[in-house]
Amino acid sequence: MTPAQPVTADRQPLLALQGIRAAYGNIDVLHGVDLDVPRGAVVALLGPNGAGKSTTLKVACGLMAPKAGKVLVAGRDVTGARAEDLARRGLVTIPEGKGVFPNLTVRENLVVATYGGQKLAAIEAVAYERFPRLKERRNQLAGTMSGGEQQMLAMARGLASNPAILLLDELSMGLAPLVVEELYEIVAQIARSGVSILVIEQFARTVLGVADVAVIMLNGRVRSIGTPQEIEAELSSAYLGG
Amino acid sequence: MNEQPDRVAEFTAEIESMKLKAGGASSEKYLLISGVVAVLVGVVLAVVGAVQVVNAETPMDQQAFLATGAFLGIALVIAGAALFVRYSLARYLRFWMVRLVFESRANADRIVEAIDRASAPR
Repeated sequence: MTPAQPVTADRQPLLALQGIRAAYGNIDVLHGVDLDVPRGAVVALLGPNGAGKSTTLKVACGLMAPKAGKVLVAGRDVTGARAEDLARRGLVTIPEGKGVFPNLTVRENLVVATYGGQKLAAIEAVAYERFPRLKERRNQLAGTMSGGEQQMLAMARGLASNPAILLLDELSMGLAPLVVEELYEIVAQIARSGVSILVIEQFARTVLGVADVAVIMLNGRVRSIGTPQEIEAELSSAYLGG
Repeated sequence: MNEQPDRVAEFTAEIESMKLKAGGASSEKYLLISGVVAVLVGVVLAVVGAVQVVNAETPMDQQAFLATGAFLGIALVIAGAALFVRYSLARYLRFWMVRLVFESRANADRIVEAIDRASAPR
């Protein structure tokens, strides 16, 4: 496969990164990343540890300002916009490592999501419809739930603000394969409802099942873009440095 | 691929209405450089002012040179030094934090490896 072909979308992508360079102090991490998330598509961003996937996500959601390049959301240059402003409008990030408050109950974690201005009842309705298990555990401390359930709670909180674009970082981290499969089934449902999704994963097989486009990143650069089938064939060589 | 045209249209309109600061990329480097420049300009002003104060013939002239040389020059030195310390320290601390994260990851990997080795059947 030829490296880094641009995604061909009929229309303007909902999220686009153009020539993004980013650094932590003097350490350059991204060396010119171009990435498109077309409307209504699930894009899987794959790569080994240290490839720059999470930094790409931080730049995309506004948590980190790039040194150079542009972040376009719905066609507008929003480089340097604050993450909370973007999130309030519908660019929602679910960070890696289960972003829940362990010492609050499920319900209290959902109360935190009302910060964006939504009513608790509406948030609960969406959360419990999508994740019935959370309803059963609504008075349980989040930290005492299983890893998969905590991840569900993090996703429920992300969905509370009715996202137009959802950025998911390492959903599968530390979870059993069966739980991961269950979570990706939910991601597929969310995608079917029309949300554009960028998923970051180190271990790829499950996410390729739900993705429309897959991208491999290596050493801070996009190495290749293609259909999940094309990318699957290339994965081993990318991970093993071939 | 799926779409929800209403939500996308609403989202596009909201993003369009966002107020953004001009210029996107990090301004940290430029603030650091402007701090250094302010210190240099301040020192030059202070030295020139001091020389002119010494050579001034009337107290009125002395006051004028004091105002530019001493007050403006020293104010620039202080403000520039503050900018320099603020932004060079931020860079240094960020670098330090990345190093800490890197070391803690390496440590975790070593521990996992040791546990794996210890729990492997002999």
